[in-house]
Amino acid sequence: MSAGMGTATVVACLVIVAFAVAGPRLARRLPPAAATRVVVPASLVVAATGVWVLGAVAFTWVAQLGPVSRYGQWSAEQLRDDSPIPRVIAIGATVLAVLSVGRAAACGTRRLRLLLAVRQSCRGVGVPGSLVVLDNDRPDAFATPGARGRIVVTRGLLRALNADERRALLAHETAHLAHRHACWLLVAELAAAANPMLTPTARAVRHTVERWADEDAARAVADRRLVARTLARTALLIRAAPVAGVPLPAVGGDVPGRVRALLEPPPRQRVAPLFVLVALLVVATMAAGTVQRRGDELLDHAGTGNPAVSHHRPGH
Amino acid sequence: MVRRPRGTLEQEVVAALAASPAPMTPAQVRDQLGGDLAYTTVMTVLARLSDKGLVTRERVGRAYAYSAVRDEAEVTARQMQRLLDAGDDRAAVLSRFVGVLSDDDEHLLIELLRHAEEER
Repeated sequence: MSAGMGTATVVACLVIVAFAVAGPRLARRLPPAAATRVVVPASLVVAATGVWVLGAVAFTWVAQLGPVSRYGQWSAEQLRDDSPIPRVIAIGATVLAVLSVGRAAACGTRRLRLLLAVRQSCRGVGVPGSLVVLDNDRPDAFATPGARGRIVVTRGLLRALNADERRALLAHETAHLAHRHACWLLVAELAAAANPMLTPTARAVRHTVERWADEDAARAVADRRLVARTLARTALLIRAAPVAGVPLPAVGGDVPGRVRALLEPPPRQRVAPLFVLVALLVVATMAAGTVQRRGDELLDHAGTGNPAVSHHRPGH
Repeated sequence: MVRRPRGTLEQEVVAALAASPAPMTPAQVRDQLGGDLAYTTVMTVLARLSDKGLVTRERVGRAYAYSAVRDEAEVTARQMQRLLDAGDDRAAVLSRFVGVLSDDDEHLLIELLRHAEEER
C-alpha cells in the first residue's frame, strides 16, 4: 500500500502531460524511422493510460449509483465515505472518459470509411504497389494507403523531372507503402482523438513518416542531395502550377525542413531520448495500475455480499 | 550505384515511357535510366511490362519502340482525380510527396536549392 488512489491519479496525469509536451520533441530528436516506431506505440500507451485512469476514477462515483451498487453488491454509502476522490472530480472523469472513448470511436470509424473509399477507388487501377500514371498536366504525386496501395504520379510531374529525380520520387513513395506508413499515422491519430493533448505528437509523427520515406529514398538512390533537390523542385513546380478549383490540403509536411535535413549528414541513433520515453511509460503504467488496484480495494471494502463478485474493473 | 529491386526498375521504366513524348527504343530507355544497366535487363523488363499489358510496342525500322499504355487512363484519371480533389479529410489518408508551400517556404526552398547547387 505505497501510494493512495489520489496520489497515483495525480502521478498518472503528470506523466501524461509530460509525454504530451515531450512527444513532439522526442519525435524530432530521434532518427525518423525509430521516432515513428517508438513514439506511436508510446502515444497509444499514454492515451490508453489516460482512459484507464479516468475510468477507474469515474467508477468511484458510478459505483455509487443505485443500480450499479445493487448489481455489484456493495454499499453506496460506505463507498461515498471511503472514496478519496472528490465527487466533482469523479463526475468530471466520467464525462471525460465517455468523451475520450467516443472521440476515438468516431475517429476510428471515419478513418476506416475513408480507407475503404480510397481502396474502392483503387480497384481495377494497376496492381498493388504499382505505379499509376495520371493523364494530367498538373504536377502531383502521392501514395494510397496500405502495403497494397498504389503510387500515383501525374504525367505532368514525370515530364518535369529527369530520370534520377523520378527514381528518387518513386523510392520515396515505395517506402510509404513498404513500411505501412498509413497504419502508423492511423494509430497516432486515434491516440490523439482519445487524448487531444497528443495532437501535436500526431502532427510530429506526420513529419517523421515523411522524413522516414525521404531517408529510405536517399539510401535507395545513394544520394541525399538528389532526394533534396527532387523534393524542392517538385514543391516549387506544384506551387507554380495553376490550382484547379479546390485549394489543396497541406499534407506532405514541412518541405523546407525535410530538404534541410537531407542536405545534412544522415541522422544518428540516440539513446538518451529512448530512456526518457521508457521511464515515462513505466511510471504511467505503474500509476494506472495503482489507481485501478486502489479502486478495487475500495469496492472490496464497501462490499456487502460475496467478495468474489465485488472485484470490478473500470469501464464496466 | 545501388542495385534496384525488380519492381522498382519496372516502375522507373514505366515512368520514363510515360514522360516521353514519343515511343522509346530499349537503347533510349537504357540511356535515360543510367548506363550501369545491361541492355538485356532493359529488354527483359520491357518484355515483362508488355506481357502485363502496361506498355505497347511498335516497329521502328529494325527495332521495337515502346510506349506506356494509356487506355485505362480516362477511368483512372477520374477515380484518382476525385481522391486528389476531395477535401482535407480524404487527402489525409493519402501520402502526398510534398505539401503545399507558403510564401516563406518558397523563398526558403529557392535559397536552399541554390545553396545545394553551388556546393556541387
